Amino acid sequence: MADLALAARGVTVRFGGLVAVDDVELEVRSGELVGVIGPNGAGKTTLFHALSGVLEPSSGRLIIGGADLTGKPPHVFAAHGVARTFQTPRVFRDMTAEQNVRFGLEFAGRRRANGHDALGSAASILEFLGLADSAEIPAGGLTPARQRLLEIGMALGARPRILLLDEVAAGLTEAEVDATAQLIRRVRDELGLTVIWIEHAVRALMDCVERVAVLHQGRKIADDLPQLVARDPAVVEAYLGVEEAA
Amino acid sequence: MGFWLELVASGLITGGIYAVVAIGLNLQYGLMRIMNISHGEFLMLGAYFTWLAHTVLKVNPLVFLPVVAVALFLIGLGVYRLCFRRISRTSPSVEIIEARSLLVSFGLMFLVQNAAYLAWGADLRGYSFLDEPVEIAGARFTANRLVVLGFAVAASLALLAVLRFTLVGKAVRAMMQSPTGAQLVGIDTAVLHPTVFGVGLALAGVAGALLSMVYEISPAMGEPYTVTALIVITLGGLGSTLGALLGGFLLGVVEAFGMHFTSPSLKMLLSYGVFILVLLARPKGLFAR
Amino acid sequence: MTLRNAVVMTLAAGIVLAAAPWALSAFALSLLLTCLMYAGLTVSWAMFSGATNYLSLATAAFFGIGAYVTAWGLATLPYAVVVPLGGLAAAAFAALIGAAILHLRGAYFAVLTFGLGELVRHAITYSEKSYAHTVGRVLTDVPEAPTVYLTVLFLAAAAIVTCLAVRASRFGLALAGIGADEERAQTLGVNTRRTKIAGFALSAFFAGALGAAMAVRWTYIEPNSVFNPFIGFQTVLIAMVGGAHTVIGPLASSIVFSLLTEFLRLQFPYLFLILLGLLLIVLVLYLPGGIASLWPIARARIGALGARLAKLESGGARG
Repeated sequence: MADLALAARGVTVRFGGLVAVDDVELEVRSGELVGVIGPNGAGKTTLFHALSGVLEPSSGRLIIGGADLTGKPPHVFAAHGVARTFQTPRVFRDMTAEQNVRFGLEFAGRRRANGHDALGSAASILEFLGLADSAEIPAGGLTPARQRLLEIGMALGARPRILLLDEVAAGLTEAEVDATAQLIRRVRDELGLTVIWIEHAVRALMDCVERVAVLHQGRKIADDLPQLVARDPAVVEAYLGVEEAA
Repeated sequence: MGFWLELVASGLITGGIYAVVAIGLNLQYGLMRIMNISHGEFLMLGAYFTWLAHTVLKVNPLVFLPVVAVALFLIGLGVYRLCFRRISRTSPSVEIIEARSLLVSFGLMFLVQNAAYLAWGADLRGYSFLDEPVEIAGARFTANRLVVLGFAVAASLALLAVLRFTLVGKAVRAMMQSPTGAQLVGIDTAVLHPTVFGVGLALAGVAGALLSMVYEISPAMGEPYTVTALIVITLGGLGSTLGALLGGFLLGVVEAFGMHFTSPSLKMLLSYGVFILVLLARPKGLFAR
Repeated sequence: MTLRNAVVMTLAAGIVLAAAPWALSAFALSLLLTCLMYAGLTVSWAMFSGATNYLSLATAAFFGIGAYVTAWGLATLPYAVVVPLGGLAAAAFAALIGAAILHLRGAYFAVLTFGLGELVRHAITYSEKSYAHTVGRVLTDVPEAPTVYLTVLFLAAAAIVTCLAVRASRFGLALAGIGADEERAQTLGVNTRRTKIAGFALSAFFAGALGAAMAVRWTYIEPNSVFNPFIGFQTVLIAMVGGAHTVIGPLASSIVFSLLTEFLRLQFPYLFLILLGLLLIVLVLYLPGGIASLWPIARARIGALGARLAKLESGGARG
């Protein structure tokens, strides 16, 4: 049985009176490919903020690779092998694509949390993502789709063990979405990463991942195989109920 | 007993001024993210206008107070139009608005302060007004200080009331909480922003006018108030007018006691010390929700 | 230009300029001295504030601290010791303050650093009065003009070399990452708190050392003259005009402004400052992209390159 890469125990995140993440329990084993879905405002990105150390949970614990990192700053999470992308790509616009990827290698990547060859240099990471020809282009000049890929590249530059992907397929065509899903599978299969993937393009995610957690209004309402989750009445109602209200 | 009352009162008096200045800065920064480091210079202008009115035109400073308010309000409209409107319009992010407005107001600070030096010279100026002593509960005050306190509190409460109970005030508070939401509902920022900026400067001017009744004035007098105002805003929680009010009084009293037990020269050190300690304990401010 | 070439050029220029005390008139030397001082101040300021976008307005405070280290120490210590000591004192102060306020947003940081000048000035006035029973100090036994000049020249060159070296280093990359997107840099493993404090302290060191070195030009040192906000203002203005992401920009700009200051400030002290204030306002408002001077000058080149390559890219198969 693979060990526990990441465990969120009773994590709650509060903003003043608003509870964005409500007592969420999540366990992810090494090498798993887990999806996280839920209607808008369900708290998915906030959960990622907690999992990467960007936000400190109001209560609960975050255990990464066996170490309790609750309350530590993001760079400690990065040093323990957690890397993430952001919903809107936050690349360093004035640096080249190669410099963007190299950034992670210079800092968190030095800890060599993941010793895979493909993660050995900025060039090999760009190669893996199909961005090799854009290496010298300033990140701000890339197309949005390529910036998305670069965003992943930056995270890979940190040589992580756990990759948190936040809506990396948003706004893409169906073909691009499928390509992204394939890439994510490769990241897990070839690079040996544990991947947690938030996505609105639910169909592609469901076909790709091994397990799906569903968040609704901050609470986890389902956590199971994709086919079971798809038939879960609570999940259906969460999505339909939101649609009716909209 | 009288002595302690004097100390507390003196703290409240300074604190009242802090509150008025801080509320003004809070409105500007909280609403528009304009960090106006020259805020104190407009306090200084209010002081000089009042001094001029009193010494040249023989006008009672209290009577002149509304004139100062209106004058600084109009100046505020002009300053916003010339210096800050463009920043709000052309900046891609909030951080950039802050950075640019900071730099612009830094230049503005030197401009206004040196214009004052040019116009009125570097010597200290002053006038006496209501400086007869008054005795309350065994404590002695000069009448002008009590007047300053009274007007500072009145101005702060008036603004608080406007924000809470009038439509315009609610619009401002709405905008401070959610800029996009407020715009969707139809609040016109093109009108609101300069107005709020003008009100902010008017408050600074009023504070300066009040100060001129008690202290001597100089072109550099306004500088420390900007920093103190920021400290007060941080203590009270950004965006909270009530917080600025209470924070101002609190800081004033803490300073008064601190200065008594150490030295008046260490006032700044005390403010910074308080600031850092509070931030360590309550990073969002004392009164933030 | 590679790091090595830039450093070599700096050292070469330094050697050439070292001949100045014997080649120039006293007045010209004094002018050059001011230029070098501002060059050193601006380059070290840009090293931190230009890279991270945390605008520090504390230059006057650091400069003054250095000046006072000289005022207190020159009687008992040699000039060569007092100068780096002034730098260290300023750096230590910066580290302390930085630890307390660098986690705040940039706007707060800027205003609070501005207040530091007041704070230190009052604190020193107080301690001088209470413990030394004096208002100002007279400096005796001051080094000669060539010594002062060579010291400032050395500091300016050191600031430039340090700035170049930092920029080429991992530390400089961290600073740039903080300036580009601090949160992102954190998630990629940068300990932003430590990096910021270190950068702030490093830039303060040079401001303090320069203050300590220049202090001997005043025979009478007192808080009001030494803690002059104009120094901070001038530093920021020079950096804004010259561009805070390069070394050559602030250098050229500091020459221009030192000359302007020298010739105009004494004649029209207030009018001059009014115009400078106006200049800063106009600069920030109307330069394309606002604080274009704070963006890398290289950006213009990269932008053009990027545009060309992007055209190639969109014409290609993928993308």
